[in-house]
Amino acid sequence: MNNNKTTRALLGTGALALAGLVTLPAQAADAERIIRDRCLSCHTETGEAATPFSRISEQRKTPEGWMMTISRMQQQRGLVISPEEKRAVVKYLADNQGLAPSETAGLRYLLEKEPNVVESFDQLLQETCVRCHSGARIALQRRTEDEWKNLIHFHMGQFPTAELHAGARDRAWFDIALTNVAPKLAKDYPFNSDAWNSWQKVIKKDLTGGWAMHGYVPGKGTFDASLHATKTANDTYALVLEGHYADGTPLAGKGRAVVYAGYEWRASLTIDGVKVRQVLAASADGNSLEGRMFERDDEIIGGSVKAVKGTAITAVTPSYIKRGERKLLTISGNNLKGNVKLGSGLKLLNVVSRDANRVVVLAEASKNAAVGSNTVKVGSVSAQGALAVYDTVARVEITPSDSIARIGGAGGPIPKQKSAYRAVGYAAGADGKPGTEDDLRLGYMPAAWTLKPFDEIAEHDNDIKYAGTIDKDGIFTPGDAGLNPERKMSTNNVGNLSVVGTVVDGGNSVQGEAHLLVTVQKFVKPVIE
Amino acid sequence: MKHLKSFNKKAKMLDQATSQNEVEEVVAMQSIVGCTSVNDPGWEVDPFGGLGSLCQPMESDLYGCADACWWPAQVPDTMVNHTAFGDTAPKANEDWRKIDSVFPEE
Repeated sequence: MNNNKTTRALLGTGALALAGLVTLPAQAADAERIIRDRCLSCHTETGEAATPFSRISEQRKTPEGWMMTISRMQQQRGLVISPEEKRAVVKYLADNQGLAPSETAGLRYLLEKEPNVVESFDQLLQETCVRCHSGARIALQRRTEDEWKNLIHFHMGQFPTAELHAGARDRAWFDIALTNVAPKLAKDYPFNSDAWNSWQKVIKKDLTGGWAMHGYVPGKGTFDASLHATKTANDTYALVLEGHYADGTPLAGKGRAVVYAGYEWRASLTIDGVKVRQVLAASADGNSLEGRMFERDDEIIGGSVKAVKGTAITAVTPSYIKRGERKLLTISGNNLKGNVKLGSGLKLLNVVSRDANRVVVLAEASKNAAVGSNTVKVGSVSAQGALAVYDTVARVEITPSDSIARIGGAGGPIPKQKSAYRAVGYAAGADGKPGTEDDLRLGYMPAAWTLKPFDEIAEHDNDIKYAGTIDKDGIFTPGDAGLNPERKMSTNNVGNLSVVGTVVDGGNSVQGEAHLLVTVQKFVKPVIE
Repeated sequence: MKHLKSFNKKAKMLDQATSQNEVEEVVAMQSIVGCTSVNDPGWEVDPFGGLGSLCQPMESDLYGCADACWWPAQVPDTMVNHTAFGDTAPKANEDWRKIDSVFPEE
């Protein structure tokens, strides 16, 4: 099982969103009425116009953050609220007490459910908070200092052994949290901010229209598609997606999107029978949408997507060409009209096909073309550094470099959590030495995938036999859940592995490795980690 | 540690994990979003960046983690928040297929 219902709830399929004719003030009034009806058995009305409801009005959160709060109220505090009412309140709070785009910058991985992100928060937060949950969960909230302090008191009541955990019991955890951490959070993540005040004044762009989308799906590759958005109600769009993967396989889907706080795009689509989610951010000019698209039931299977509305290039695929090589290059984007220019040292031999969203060209790099990043132009638009010209693949980096997968399935209710890898090639750069600052990033390259034990212990315990398998597309599927009597102490099918990606460049094979820990299930599935 | 000889397996591993690279590896694996870095002994990852020092099979000590609220973001705590967790499977070693994760309501 998973919390699919909760993510569905963010998509506003309820009566309010479908009404279509409901105006913005009417929605707000309705949400305030729901808060009065549902929340005031515990919360109170303050009588202050700026902060009308106790506690609620002194926090700002993402749509997911508000969803999580209300869900906790249902589970822990006896809140009774219908799914439709819940959606209306989340929408109202995320719109009126949300985060500005700049306040979510660098932290969107949490909302996008990007797997295997290694966080680095300062030591104080790491020791007091981030040892249990992500740092981004904190950094995507804004509170008054009193509210940050209330959050610490809440933790003491809700998780009473928090101050006895390793990393807490050797110090005055509660005192440190209350006197050092809360003021720091109030300073770093303040309730009142210029960013939010300014963003509230910005007139938000309508996202209706035709978008050109480029993205990546593990196991299927890159894709180009047109995404057509039709407004069906305030901040709600019906979506039609049509396109094809790089190998020519078509893709098609339909769905709907709800936009929170004027830019937080949350869409649910069914693409070729598979339920997918989009967590995207619209740019302030309303001309681009960027984020991640992933399968609803297998969040690992997803990748970055970018959609553009104006005239723009979204991608050049592949993003590299070797000196002396001929190669088909696909330029993706919107309104692609005019001459194609690939930069110095590159000859455009032939335009194989073209339409407004996609130009396929046969290119040739001269034998003495300069190694470096070229800017690709189509008519008046350009993509800086979109095409790398290289001599030799000097090293390969496997991404993610540190990763986990979790055992699952085998008749149990918790599915396996996979992991997916890509190989990034680099040329050595001017100094001729790989692994230095001037290395030239070539982009994602096809690779052959294998596994090996990470260390002697993994070899001794024969982890490779039990922990799982990797397929030709770099998708690792972990082993079955449960005890394994074949293993020492009937241990689980966990394992400490290295993922090896091998890229063939001319006559050379270049390998890169990533660390993969196949570990046990998680029994808590939050809205955000 | 030069004058003391490590006594058990865990201590030996700690003794051996002396290079900066190894230390960084441990930190990285424990800082992956979704994993806990509370490492006594750890839920996903042990203090040495591996699995050797975890309680495994996990089912043997699952409720020992739940009733002490030891990894509240990994295992539902039966102390305050999810008092009924595991009620359908009193013997986790045998009934692990009946144990679901907790997730928010619609």
